[in-house]
Amino acid sequence: MTSFLVKRVLWSIPTLIGVTILTFLLIHIAPGGPAQALGGEKATPAQIAHLTHVLGFDRPLAEQYALWANALVHGDFGFSYIQQAPVRDLIAQRLPQTLLLMGAALLLSIVIAIPLGVYQAYRQNSVFDRTASSFVFLAWSMPTFWFGTILIALFAVTLRWFPVGGLQTIDTIAFDWPSRLAHLAMPASTLAIVSVAGWSRYIRGSMVEQLREDYAQTARAKGLPQRTVLFKHVLRNALIPFITILGSSIPLLFSGAVITEQIFAYPGMGQLFWQSAVDRDYATLLGMTVLTAILVVLGNLAADLAYGIVDPRVRYE
Amino acid sequence: METSLQTLLMESSILASGTNEGRRRFWRRFLRTPLAVISVAWIAVISAACLFYPIVTHQTGLFTDVAHSYAAPTQNHILGTDGLGRDEFVRVLLGGRISLLVGFTAALVAMVIGTGVGAISGFYGGVIDAILMRIVDVLLSVPTLFLLLFLAAMFHGSVVALIVVIGVTSWLNPSRLVRGEVLTIKERLYVEAARALGAVDARILARHVIPNAAGTIITTTTFMIANAMLAETALSYLGIGVRAPTPSWGNLLSSAQSDVFAGAYWLIVPAGLAILFTVTALNFIGDWLRENVGQ
Repeated sequence: MTSFLVKRVLWSIPTLIGVTILTFLLIHIAPGGPAQALGGEKATPAQIAHLTHVLGFDRPLAEQYALWANALVHGDFGFSYIQQAPVRDLIAQRLPQTLLLMGAALLLSIVIAIPLGVYQAYRQNSVFDRTASSFVFLAWSMPTFWFGTILIALFAVTLRWFPVGGLQTIDTIAFDWPSRLAHLAMPASTLAIVSVAGWSRYIRGSMVEQLREDYAQTARAKGLPQRTVLFKHVLRNALIPFITILGSSIPLLFSGAVITEQIFAYPGMGQLFWQSAVDRDYATLLGMTVLTAILVVLGNLAADLAYGIVDPRVRYE
Repeated sequence: METSLQTLLMESSILASGTNEGRRRFWRRFLRTPLAVISVAWIAVISAACLFYPIVTHQTGLFTDVAHSYAAPTQNHILGTDGLGRDEFVRVLLGGRISLLVGFTAALVAMVIGTGVGAISGFYGGVIDAILMRIVDVLLSVPTLFLLLFLAAMFHGSVVALIVVIGVTSWLNPSRLVRGEVLTIKERLYVEAARALGAVDARILARHVIPNAAGTIITTTTFMIANAMLAETALSYLGIGVRAPTPSWGNLLSSAQSDVFAGAYWLIVPAGLAILFTVTALNFIGDWLRENVGQ
């Protein structure tokens, strides 16, 4: 057990280093070179020469990387010359909002997708199963922002149940839970739609597959009712690989947050990333990419460790 | 000895292209799945309509006619007009050209890279495999849309740049799938036979390994086209995809959002349905192929 944990933790170190090398190189393919990219389009030749010297872009590539990685380890994510602020501060303002949004979407997805998939498998090929499968298939193929727009048109403009966008009502400065939740409802639903579709499909598929396994056949052969076989035996085995899916959904949620935050004017990481791309604020893009990639690697690590703890077969591979 | 090796090699090409009987069974199953037939028909019809649009409408192009902006659907403009009085039906068909072009070519770029990396990784194994798959792991750690936005910020402007940017960010999962397939194929006897007959690695890969992975490659390509089309929509919505005045389904749909507030609610429907139907059809074909190819 301990050796599995240690091995898996060590295994993620090369990936982490690779992530920093990749993002470091991204900035070097920017047109005009890294100093131009970090200084912004309006930087004068003198400023660029200054930046090149200060940030060490006139030194060998390996040395540059070492300098940059060292700063990163000490929590220095660079400085945005366009926003005139340290990237760390910009991220610190936005990250909690996005984590809240992602958490809400994750919760919503689990609460909807698992029961839906399980019930579809339980009533396999029934009218309900077929209808749900069709809707899930459409949701899976739909542009996210279209779904968000429909939600706004329906629930904000026509029915006036939820606010159109933002974080919370403007006239309140203090943290206001009811207002926060009202503002979170539609963005979280929009962000959740893809994972609800993907996960319910996955759960249904893996339960139907497990039902064909020997142990399920045996359980049925000894006279247990379908319901018991399904919920007592099959569900547990179908849910275990789902842990890995949860881990790998983190990058999808970050991608989705860019679109969702744009639709609902939600001030999170996604919106900051989009704004930085439009402004060509590479310093901020670089800092956010590194941080998200590290979060993703750690998320996958956590999922794999949980998988190893729940399913003993993994540890002895 | 020589002849038996030749026979083994024949097995490779039979497995890759299928027997006549196998092909007949494949088409019979296809024709017995109405949704699969409808999906393929939809892709064919929408592609033809977009490519040769004067066949399906008497409108001959896009003309600005501000006096008739936001006109509701009539016999003359069957989907109405947009804010500049341009015929919406022609805009949707011309937009389809761009969206389908981006979808198909970006998927092609992704599959060429993905197949190359996956085949080399699976075939050679060892250090090469470890390094290539580590690179894939690393790239998968960066959210796709972040990578897309990052690259689009650097290179956006032309449709070609968009295709390349979507293509080079979409080959990761295909490369893993192809690698998995190649891992089993390279253990087959016909690969041994080809090697015994003195074929070099490149020839074995091109003649025996990749053709036998064709099922996986074609299935994945179908999903990749759907994904690339959704990526185009997302980037156009975010304002760094296809630029106006060139229409695409993505930018038609995102500009339709403001048209709704101008009272032209019907403009949100055509481009949205065009994307929804096309992507659904592609995903359905992909699903069907995954279950039926190589059976």
